[in-house]
Amino acid sequence: MTPPTTRLAAKLHRRVCLVLTEDAHLAEELLARKKLSSAVAGRLCDNVLLIRPGLVDVVLDELRKASHTPQIIGKATSGS
Amino acid sequence: MATEDTDPDMTRAETTLAMYAGPLLRRIAAMLLKPRSPIPEEELIERCLSTLMNPPVVDRRLRDLPDAARKILAIMGLSRQSSWKLGHLLTILATMGHAEGLAPIHTLLEYGLLLPVLPTNTPTIASFEEILTRSGVLEQELFSLSAVAARAREESLGFPDLSDPRVSELGATLRIADGLEWPLRIAAVSQIVAESPFRLTMARALFKRDLTRLQTNELQASAPADHLLLVPDPGTLCFYWAEAISMFRWENGELHSRNSVVPAANAFDDLVQLTAALSRLESWDPERGYLLVEEGNLSPFPTASFAVFFLLGSASGWVTAQSIADYLWEHHPSWQGVLKKESAQQHGKTWIEAFLFGVAYPLRLIEVLDGETRVARLSDLGKHLFAGGPAPQPIPAFPQTLMVQPNAEILAYRQGLTPPLIAKLTRCARWKAIGPACTLELTPEQTYIGLESGLTLSGIIQTLNQHGTRPVPLAVVDLLQRWANKRERITVYSSATLVEFQSTADLDQAIARGIVALRITDRMGICSDGGDPDFKNLRLLGNRDYEARPTKCLSIDDDGITLTVDTAGADLLLEADIGQLAESITDDPPGLRRYTLQPVLLKKAIASNWTLEDLDAWFIARAGTPLPAAAKLFVLAAQAPRVEARSRMILSVPSTEIADGLMQWPSTLEFIEERIGPRAVALSEENWPALRDLLLQLGIICD
Repeated sequence: MTPPTTRLAAKLHRRVCLVLTEDAHLAEELLARKKLSSAVAGRLCDNVLLIRPGLVDVVLDELRKASHTPQIIGKATSGS
Repeated sequence: MATEDTDPDMTRAETTLAMYAGPLLRRIAAMLLKPRSPIPEEELIERCLSTLMNPPVVDRRLRDLPDAARKILAIMGLSRQSSWKLGHLLTILATMGHAEGLAPIHTLLEYGLLLPVLPTNTPTIASFEEILTRSGVLEQELFSLSAVAARAREESLGFPDLSDPRVSELGATLRIADGLEWPLRIAAVSQIVAESPFRLTMARALFKRDLTRLQTNELQASAPADHLLLVPDPGTLCFYWAEAISMFRWENGELHSRNSVVPAANAFDDLVQLTAALSRLESWDPERGYLLVEEGNLSPFPTASFAVFFLLGSASGWVTAQSIADYLWEHHPSWQGVLKKESAQQHGKTWIEAFLFGVAYPLRLIEVLDGETRVARLSDLGKHLFAGGPAPQPIPAFPQTLMVQPNAEILAYRQGLTPPLIAKLTRCARWKAIGPACTLELTPEQTYIGLESGLTLSGIIQTLNQHGTRPVPLAVVDLLQRWANKRERITVYSSATLVEFQSTADLDQAIARGIVALRITDRMGICSDGGDPDFKNLRLLGNRDYEARPTKCLSIDDDGITLTVDTAGADLLLEADIGQLAESITDDPPGLRRYTLQPVLLKKAIASNWTLEDLDAWFIARAGTPLPAAAKLFVLAAQAPRVEARSRMILSVPSTEIADGLMQWPSTLEFIEERIGPRAVALSEENWPALRDLLLQLGIICD
């Protein structure tokens, strides 16, 4: 077992845009929206979507149009 | 009293002084400090700033100044506005009868008591003539430290006493407003902007759509509960007022509501801030409402407004609107130009009445005596600001002032509203009506905006309970909880740092040690705020910035369809994209990741949202070369025209010169179909005997 003070080897992925949903079902529901799915680069797991760089505002607009009220963590964006 | 640590303009002053050339700075230091010995160059700025914060020295310098220069500082001190446009300062001076032009401004600049507002990329200033002689100089902003301007407040501005001794208080009603009307309407206007951002033209004019939103808003158009006179376009006034007190922020060319505005500590501080901001309102007029001035001109509204207050400050009793109008008619250089024709016939009396009774009265800056004629004098707050009066007595607090109804409406009794409470309510509830009892509505959208602005659900409920006359109904608590929960269903990290560990066990340990807070995949985690983890706990193997250009991380084999991934350089986007184009080779040894481009997948990608150019660009970014020829074949095959296959003879000749000759000599060209290489031509078998004979005739032996 690695001692608790050892540095853990890791790779950083910085300035990534992610959408975390409550469950996989909600992620599927979002992916069913054409404009939103075109902004999604991939699915890291059942409920985590990776968004293409520069498209976070498109995603937020689409979420709001779908009457979702996402919690936004990170840079301030329009509408808040 | 502002101190060196608290004066908000201290940093700006330091930056501006740093833009002065050495000799200029030295001249200013000589005027301001009057040093007995030379000051080292590196200490000049610091010494100037500390002198500006030294009241006895500032008082001595003020005594050295000519009248007009002292009055400029007095204007800034009395208005509580430390930054004014040069043109406005000159206009107010002219209203006071001073016609020295730029001379007093120049003197104040030379003393360092006034500084120009300069863009950060301004080249070094060698003399003030560079600033004072450029075009558009009237728009040049000038500022003074609040501590300096405050020392000049007791300077007499020289306005006459316009009080009317004939005014009798017998039988007249004394009226004074509570000062809440404009702050409430400004709070409501910030919600209009929060709904949908506003845009302004280059000339700071509103676009028609946004102007209509302000002019047709029901709440803004409604008459105030305690009003003497209604002003036109109150919504537009409140919009520009809110902008002047920095309630909005610019983002991508649009004005958005700023939810993190720190409210004034008490009602009077709020009103002082709004009063100071009158100097920045140039797109509204008390008679005409929304009004844009021509380019190159300045609106007379700021200067006329403060001239009205200064005249009231000089009065010993009640003043009529007509007497103020007569004075401004004679003395204000540009105010006449903005008056309506009917108003001008009375020297602008209706303009003054609109300003006094429609703007200043709700600001609680004046008291009004409603008798045979309506007359005004400064209120306790107005006297404190403009006539050296004591600070007004605080308004008694009524903490329990809200009633939350089961239908999610809030009744807010005005007498208990304070700026901090108004700010909190504005963040989490929608203003519906403003009157003796105001109405707000709790809505999902406004709850969401409140939570996004940093409020918590428990904080909202606590505020409503703390200020409520009774507890928040359970049904409303339940509603708020449901609306807040909806926000928990989806979280968007707009710019997060994902940490990818080498194994699940490492991720488990990272979570246990608090290096990351949330598990995203079996090997990736994230901090709760999406920010960088503490690097002292990590040994970094790689660092990829997803807003930078994609990095090369693929190599293409000679067959043109096998791709090998450089795992150290690969990123999440590669994984997402390559899966659309190629299949993973499954029997590779551990540590080797390879893919094979598949015709079916490439065709599917082209059919969906990729173009050939996109594929070329992607391969150039990831592999350093465009789409390989074999892969291009997969893509273009379906679009290629029919392919023709037939037998032909190939004649290879010893040199290009011979091939050139065969292609040029008509006798041989007649039998050749095409040249297929530098030394090869193609022909049909039936033409070979004839061509062979010709070659033999030339002496070329054919096999």
